[in-house]
Amino acid sequence: MAADGRNEPKPRNCLGFLTVLECPRDGLFGGYLALDFRGRPLEFRCTAPIKPNRAQQILYGATLDDYLYGEQIGKTLLTGCKNTPLVVCADQSAVLAVRELIDVPVALVEAPAAQPEVAPSNPAETIPGNGGKTWRLHSAHAPGPPPQHFPLGHNRLFTPVAADATTIAERLADLPDGFDLAEPFARIREAIEEARRAGGE
Amino acid sequence: MSFAHPQSLTAHPSRWSIDPVKGLRWEASGSPDVRDWDLAARVEPASSAWSDQFDGFGPIDMVAVPLTTPRPRVVSVPITRSPVPRTRSFHFLEPAEDEPVGSQAAGAPGPAVFHGPAADGRQAIRIRPPGDVIKLLDRLNYLLQPPLEILLAERSFGFRFEPFHYQFEGIAFLYPRQTAILADEMGLGKTMQAITAVRLLIHRREAQRVLLVCPKSLVTNWRREFDLWAPEIPVSVIEGNQAKRDWQWRLVDVPVKIANYELLNRDRNTLAGDDPALSFDLVILDESQRIKNRHSATSQVVRSLRARRRWALTGTPVENSPEDLVGIFEFLSPGYLSPEMRPRRMGRAVSDYVLRRTKEAVLADLPPKLFRDAELELSPEQHAAYQLAEGEGVVHLNELGERMTIQHVFELILRLKQICNFDPATGASTKLERLEADLEEVADSGRKAIVFSQWVETLQRLRDVLGRFGPLEYHGRIPAKHRDGVIRRFRDDPDAHVLLLSYGAGGVGLNLQFAGYVFLFDRWWNPAVEDQAINRVHRIGSAGPVTVTRMLTLGTIEERINRILEEKRELFDTIFSDLRPGRRLSLTQEEVLGLFDLSAPAPRARPSAA
Repeated sequence: MAADGRNEPKPRNCLGFLTVLECPRDGLFGGYLALDFRGRPLEFRCTAPIKPNRAQQILYGATLDDYLYGEQIGKTLLTGCKNTPLVVCADQSAVLAVRELIDVPVALVEAPAAQPEVAPSNPAETIPGNGGKTWRLHSAHAPGPPPQHFPLGHNRLFTPVAADATTIAERLADLPDGFDLAEPFARIREAIEEARRAGGE
Repeated sequence: MSFAHPQSLTAHPSRWSIDPVKGLRWEASGSPDVRDWDLAARVEPASSAWSDQFDGFGPIDMVAVPLTTPRPRVVSVPITRSPVPRTRSFHFLEPAEDEPVGSQAAGAPGPAVFHGPAADGRQAIRIRPPGDVIKLLDRLNYLLQPPLEILLAERSFGFRFEPFHYQFEGIAFLYPRQTAILADEMGLGKTMQAITAVRLLIHRREAQRVLLVCPKSLVTNWRREFDLWAPEIPVSVIEGNQAKRDWQWRLVDVPVKIANYELLNRDRNTLAGDDPALSFDLVILDESQRIKNRHSATSQVVRSLRARRRWALTGTPVENSPEDLVGIFEFLSPGYLSPEMRPRRMGRAVSDYVLRRTKEAVLADLPPKLFRDAELELSPEQHAAYQLAEGEGVVHLNELGERMTIQHVFELILRLKQICNFDPATGASTKLERLEADLEEVADSGRKAIVFSQWVETLQRLRDVLGRFGPLEYHGRIPAKHRDGVIRRFRDDPDAHVLLLSYGAGGVGLNLQFAGYVFLFDRWWNPAVEDQAINRVHRIGSAGPVTVTRMLTLGTIEERINRILEEKRELFDTIFSDLRPGRRLSLTQEEVLGLFDLSAPAPRARPSAA
């Protein structure tokens, strides 16, 4: 999965979820959960807490979160996981920085409140995907390049790489339509808390 | 004026002066290194008072300021890459695909009406690991599962009726537990919650052999409920002769077996063997208060069952004393509780194993239940009869001395309670007068009421007097084949305003939510039984507020018993609500005797007031 071209396990219907939990005392905990398409866990990885030092805070400036969330935590968690995900979902925009470091499409699952209205679907504005799933596109985007904000089932996604939108839709074509892509992040946060309580960081 | 870049500027005490031709001048004195600078400023001399003031300047102190520029110093801050954070990985077994269980075709549920947590915006219910799951990997395996609603909404988990939110919570409580008591108040759907949890275990291949034990009278009901909530799961009722039962016990392709307590006793030898087919993944005891007495034969045979998981269902985990709960835990987790534990400590110990909800707590739309205690004086005739009976009875008990047993005391109590209902000679009854008055109001408003008594004779006397209210009877002397008709008529006949029930026959299994009034003509020994009676009316589907009138004659044995019943309620709250300081409050033999200020003879019989 890493961008260095080494051999990768064969992809299967595995979906990755990556988030970072901020703890004022300890710093940032990263958590990654791999699920099958029924939402059942395959793998969970978490990091020990990291805390940027003062020099990093000053010198990374506005890019510090991208560095910590994307490179330090995201890349670390995704490197070496057993199940290669078809898509990595994130719920924090800073995590999207990991996209530059891996070969897997990354999508931000947008909170319902942040989801803009989607234009009513009509044949001219839909892209049929595999498995009968369809995309509804903003008319401003159709029929040009795929939009970076797009609905998938009941979810609304954003991808920083425009070309990834098509890949994501194709790879998640078999995902059940009711799959709530925002829900697994709650599991990760609880699991991180549990691991912390257990003293396992 | 020309300036050279000075290496230094040094000044000595000097002064300014004004030359009429050259203008303002700086006159330095002292060191030859110091020049006098002609500032070449033209000054028009004027003789004025202010110009003379220059001469008044005092000496100016000057200091040397070095102007050499130091060589700049460079500070180098290395931008080190942070070390890669340590990670921990947890891998879970490949989730098995659900396979159809039993016959999906026959009686398969219709389209699921459940729409999942996202449909109504409520919070999803997570399955959390029980406290006795220690390994982090195991705990994470629970925490990282999908919400319960998603698990249930998957293929083949349709429901004919959408369960209540608290019912999902009950399923999420049962499912991960090896040891559990679901102690919901009657009417909240313990059966449905248990069946759905069983269904989940079977579909996820976490259980393949499940035994449900219940009272004989409830076997048919359980069978029907399985058909309703888990129609795809084959169920076998253990029944028939010994040979047939032996065969049924060993059926391997039937994941759920239902047996009654009495039958379990008869088949104790069969079950005692080491046949793997008789080792269960889960044993569920319904009405588990049946085993509250640890020394009973039923308790012993139930405890001998081999099972990985053990669940108990009961609306009354504590009927009389904390020992009831100890008895149930002897099945669930032998030795975990002891009778010596204080109620509060016991409550803490079982908190992770017991789920108890009341209707008021979970059913926001359930109508209110209003208690209106009728505290009545005995009529003169009743009072005279009561005094006589009590006096003679106590004298008799004292005369018995060492021969007195708890049964003698109970006989006296029953005699006195009957007098509290009716004067045996004249039939006078203040309770009846009050009941008639209340029923007038009920009938006038077109409503219906149910009346409970522990005696059929009392109910029949009421029937004779309350004829104008269209009374119907439901008790042990009404043949079973007629009972459904009685309930139907009570529901449908607008002239039938009152149903007379015995606690024994009418306390369980009836849905009378179309009635709005409950009268407890006399009190039962046990508040849980009274609650069950009241719940016939106050349940899901009740149309409006339910008014409960508890009749009590003052200064009598009823008042004393009532005091103990209230203390029992406190005991229950202490264990399950942790709201009040713990007190040991059970109807001990001493307390029963204390109703008559008697002391206990040598121990002979154990009190069994319920």
